Amino acid sequence: MASATAGPPPQAPAEPATRGRRPQAPGTRHRTRRVPGWAWALPPVAALGLSFLYPLVLVAKQSLSPDSGGHSFAAYTQVFHEDSFRKALWNTVWIATASTAGCLVLGFALALVIAFVPFPGGKALSRFIDVFLAFPSFLITLALLFVYGTVGMANGLWTDATGAAHGPVAFLQTPWGVLLAEVTYFTPFVMRPLLAAFSQVDTAQVEAASSLGARAPRIVRQIILPEALPSLAAGGSLVLVLCLNEFGIVLFTGAKGVTTLPMLVYSKAILDGDYPGACAVAMVAVVLSVALYALYRAAAARALGGGRRARA
Amino acid sequence: MLVHSRKGRWTAWLFFFVLFLPLFALPFLVVVMASFATHWSGAFPSHATFAHYRDVTHGDSLHALTTSLLTALAASLLALVIGTWAALAAERLRGAARRVLDGLFMLPVAVPSVVVGLSLLVAFSQPPFLLNGTARIVVLAHTVLVTAFAYQSVSAALSRLDPAYEQSAASLGARPATVLWRIRIPLLLPSLTAAAGLCFALSMGELSATMMLYPPDWVPLPVRIYGATSRGSLFEGAALAVVLMLTTLVVLLGMSRVRTRASYR
Amino acid sequence: MDPAADRTDTPQGAGIRFDRVTVAYGGTTVLDALDLTVEPGEVMALLGPSGSGKTTALRAVAGFVRPASGRVMIGGRDVTDLPPYKRGIGMVVQQYALFPHLRVDQNVAFGLKARRTPRGRIAARVTEALEMTGMAGYARRYPRELSGGQQQRVAIARALAIRPGVLLLDEPLSALDARLRSGMLAELSRLHRELPDVSILYVTHDQIEALTLADRIAVLDQARLQDCGTPHELYRTPRTEFTATFVGNANLLRVRAGEPGSVSLDATTLRVTAPDDASTGPAAGAEATLCVRPHALRITDAKATGPAAGSPEAAAVPGANILHGTVTDVQWRGHTHRLLVEAHGHELRADVGDLRQPPRVGDDVALTFDAEDGVLLPAGLAGGVPVG
Ligand SMILES: Nc1ncnc2c1ncn2[C@@H]1O[C@H](COP(=O)(O)OP(=O)(O)OP(=O)(O)O)[C@@H](O)[C@H]1O
Ligand SMILES: [Mg+2]
Repeated sequence: MASATAGPPPQAPAEPATRGRRPQAPGTRHRTRRVPGWAWALPPVAALGLSFLYPLVLVAKQSLSPDSGGHSFAAYTQVFHEDSFRKALWNTVWIATASTAGCLVLGFALALVIAFVPFPGGKALSRFIDVFLAFPSFLITLALLFVYGTVGMANGLWTDATGAAHGPVAFLQTPWGVLLAEVTYFTPFVMRPLLAAFSQVDTAQVEAASSLGARAPRIVRQIILPEALPSLAAGGSLVLVLCLNEFGIVLFTGAKGVTTLPMLVYSKAILDGDYPGACAVAMVAVVLSVALYALYRAAAARALGGGRRARA
Repeated sequence: MLVHSRKGRWTAWLFFFVLFLPLFALPFLVVVMASFATHWSGAFPSHATFAHYRDVTHGDSLHALTTSLLTALAASLLALVIGTWAALAAERLRGAARRVLDGLFMLPVAVPSVVVGLSLLVAFSQPPFLLNGTARIVVLAHTVLVTAFAYQSVSAALSRLDPAYEQSAASLGARPATVLWRIRIPLLLPSLTAAAGLCFALSMGELSATMMLYPPDWVPLPVRIYGATSRGSLFEGAALAVVLMLTTLVVLLGMSRVRTRASYR
Repeated sequence: MDPAADRTDTPQGAGIRFDRVTVAYGGTTVLDALDLTVEPGEVMALLGPSGSGKTTALRAVAGFVRPASGRVMIGGRDVTDLPPYKRGIGMVVQQYALFPHLRVDQNVAFGLKARRTPRGRIAARVTEALEMTGMAGYARRYPRELSGGQQQRVAIARALAIRPGVLLLDEPLSALDARLRSGMLAELSRLHRELPDVSILYVTHDQIEALTLADRIAVLDQARLQDCGTPHELYRTPRTEFTATFVGNANLLRVRAGEPGSVSLDATTLRVTAPDDASTGPAAGAEATLCVRPHALRITDAKATGPAAGSPEAAAVPGANILHGTVTDVQWRGHTHRLLVEAHGHELRADVGDLRQPPRVGDDVALTFDAEDGVLLPAGLAGGVPVG
């Protein structure tokens, strides 16, 4: 019982300091009429609903109502039977997966050097990476056209050197060109959260480990990697989705052979005017992106939990 | 320091620059070089000229630039207001409601921009909302796409805001509206300008949804760049791309100036 | 109705009362049925170790945590359901939380503006508050341009400018270095003399601050009020083992009570002071806890004269109240030597004046104390609170 030990000592007056006034009865408590917290969320949610969710629902609806009228899965069955769709689906998935893997490896390695083997100008480099994120993706493809295109730098070097009419570099119009562009463009998206995480790594820990004789690879594996895992997971999930959804790079590559789902949506809707087909492909793309994103987040959450446990 | 031997350090740096320079620096260099040329023969561009830049100062290219600037300005302001409002509202929520709101506002990132464009096309080509063929539908698409980023950065800034400030203000007798307006918004200002800058830059470079939606009289810069390159005018495209990058840079720089002036610590 | 109308500033001379206030965070009780009254104009220190619930109690007064049960009264008014901005209290938190985007004068004026004080009056009150804290010369600076001690003064000025009847201070000195802290402590005492009507609830984990500043001290531990009394009472006659050790770091000896005023430890009889209230004194033959402050212990070279102890005049007789033990550690602290002495199964801490020739580890020593420095804890409470 608290009051047994807690009462004021005998000398202190025991009565409360109400100074003659009685405390208010619970019935007359002050209560302001306040807007409940969730009500404030309504206007932005309404705006989002009208400009984003409602249109998406209409896309779903249109994908189920072919031009002939009525409701059917005709658009889906037709799309699923198209060769171009299956190829686009495959291209989308593998290019996105490979790009994400490439970005993670490359981003981790580059960020490691910037953070832990510092050199003059490293700070400016991190600024450069921030700016890089703000530029549109198609710039990279445009640049690659000048570097590896038919009349670009690489082939120009070759023709200059050998006198041949054409250079041998011609991968830009293939999925590999898209892959290269995506890895280039999205690597900074991995590096930025990593650099933030690395700046949190306790340098004393790294120093203590190396004073105990641990070599660089061991320190990276046992101290830096666990610390970086959450950011790596977050960056990776973002890049995966952005790669799945990437359109500008593919469009600028201009290759007929490389079609991805976003590209297919565009060509069906704008070039062919096949709206039900475009909507069906769009729904597949949405489901794929959102599902992969959710899956990755779940996996990342588990990896993150594991990382925490390892650090604890 | 992770690597102690001089040799090890040089190896790390060599590795870094062998990867970094061709991958990240070369593209910008090449685009800038190309923008001053009309031909590319051999290893380097040739026939230096300012003609592409002269073209930007008038006609369709100039129109594309102003179109992009206006679109980005409108979209980023709208996104900032909606995103900030939503982030402030989300902060008062707990548990499932909070997660739902977070998910909703981040969803436009997970959905392909092309699909966002398509959905707006489908939704606003029919009554009751007829926006197709207007500039407004482009602005709307950009707003939808960049609001997620505004929401995310303001949310992050809010969670970093020390609650001691607003509590001190409340204990001094400030009502919630006063606390928001006199304390929280000023303290958030650096993050708000950063978010606005990011939204502006993203909108300037938006291509995917725009390709689905743009009316003939509202052609933003990225679409025009695509038009030039697909016509085969790579060098004109390069010049337009440089203009796009420079404008974005200037805006980002201006925003970071505002930011440093507004940051208090 | 104008919502500002029901915000009455707390009248000067208001007290605070906790009426069985319980606060829980997700199942764990961090404040357990706190009953405490701060009289008008009184400085009450809330003293306790980290995590004991001090800040929580203060935040319950300010309105930032809602009690699960119980009421909080300010000036006799039940404020439990009032939002913070209607309570009219001054608060200074550990990190000051000066608004970084406002100048010093704007910071101080903030509360006045928030309650729509007329412009002319604001300027006068800001000047007054800044002068009171000695910060009048810094009105146009930004918080980042001030030192820690100056920021602290501004925080106090900001809280005082609204003329609160109640001032809540949460470890206001903990961000300052030791020298600055003692200066600010004197400053705070002066401020309170200038504003005798303001009730102050002062949260701290530092017993020196509490002993220096407070009219009364409430000792919190593990979410519960352990003890409450004037600094003198708590120091001289602690009522629980926790208070005895937390305030003044006392030695606690398990003894057996003899006739009133004497206890026995093993075969040794010691003269002690019994609790004022005879009824709370331990019964003869019962287990009891004896509390002796480290600085009350002295080294003596007298040999114990056994039988003499126990007689009424024993305390005056050399050789009485003697504890024999072995030195296990000697720490020199400048003005004292802290000896750790293993005696009668207890490890005793003794602070003895700077000795020319301190004993060495392993030496046998005899320690003695005056009868009035040996205080028996009240029975029934002594073992009631676990000592951490
Ligand atoms: N917002 C919160 N959510 C959950 N638990 C909390 C919260 N705030 C405080 N606690 C817990 O309540 C207990 C009491 O906290 P309180 O801040 O009152 O301690 P304190 O006595 O002020 O300690 P200190 O001297 O360290 O400031 C602690 O165990 C703390 O972990
Ligand atoms: Mg505290």
